[in-house]
Amino acid sequence: MNRTVLTIGVIITAIIVGLLFLGLGKNPNEIRSPLIGRPAPSFALREAGTGRTVDVAQFRGKPVVINFWATWCGPCWEEHPVLVAGARRHPEVQFVGVVFQDTEDKILGFLEQRGVSYPTVVDDRGKTAIAYGVAGVPETFFLDANGAIVAKYSGPLNAADLEQELRKGVR
Amino acid sequence: MMIAAVLLFMLQMKVPDAASFVGQPKGAPVVGAELDRRTHEVGSLVRCPVCQGMSVADSPSEMAVNMKGQVRELLARGYTEEQILEYFELSYGQFVLLRPKFEGVTAAIWLLPIVALIAGVAITFVMLKRLGRKPVAEPKSKPVSEPASDPYLARVRELAGGKS
Repeated sequence: MNRTVLTIGVIITAIIVGLLFLGLGKNPNEIRSPLIGRPAPSFALREAGTGRTVDVAQFRGKPVVINFWATWCGPCWEEHPVLVAGARRHPEVQFVGVVFQDTEDKILGFLEQRGVSYPTVVDDRGKTAIAYGVAGVPETFFLDANGAIVAKYSGPLNAADLEQELRKGVR
Repeated sequence: MMIAAVLLFMLQMKVPDAASFVGQPKGAPVVGAELDRRTHEVGSLVRCPVCQGMSVADSPSEMAVNMKGQVRELLARGYTEEQILEYFELSYGQFVLLRPKFEGVTAAIWLLPIVALIAGVAITFVMLKRLGRKPVAEPKSKPVSEPASDPYLARVRELAGGKS
């Protein structure tokens, strides 16, 4: 009787501790998106500043990094230089910024101050952000050369995280 | 000339379409007051991802307003409630549904406590039954036998008027 109770107790405790360890071992910034493994929703949006249309399909054949951001988002200020440097360091990868819930003059002021090395497009009514399941900014999606989403990163990327995400499947 | 340029620009722009997620509309387009009512109904089933437990129908945040606008547009195009909820679920996951589907982890969360309760009652019942069947244990120590000729005991019995 006592041995049975002890065994059941040990099994239940082991399951709970195991689940806790699984949860603690996860990076909270790596959100499992239902879009991972699926073709990225296609979009062609107006580039801030130039007004030309940037079609994400035109980058097919090379890995793409899509970063959703806004000027009113504090962590985006911190993250932007990391992405600008990353785009310069990896010319084989196409970076695209998508800004939503923002105004063009603020976007241009931000880019002038924080630097530019890749196109930034304007998602006027947030439809592209909704299709990508963006809940808050910054959020970054990593696409392979076939246009499929291989990873999603929620929160500001630092240089090490960016390299790690790029290694996962983009490069 | 200016209008033509704007129209040309609008045609060049493309945003992700629900059709690439859930196919063509399966219902009839909704219009007028019915569209307002259905937008609120379907919007109240979709969680605002930047709010604390609010639906896109109730939240004033810009994200919720945009999502509600999308619900309205899809209803007007003839998408059914199921298709619209599936569209949001494919982008955000089940988290976006204020009434999650009874499957997978959600089903386990609901069913496990019931299973645990039934198992607990069953174990208690079996244990009680087993205890009831157990014969009464013999006392481990036998009573101390009275010595055949205890003068003290004999005297007590004599005084009490009994036979020894």
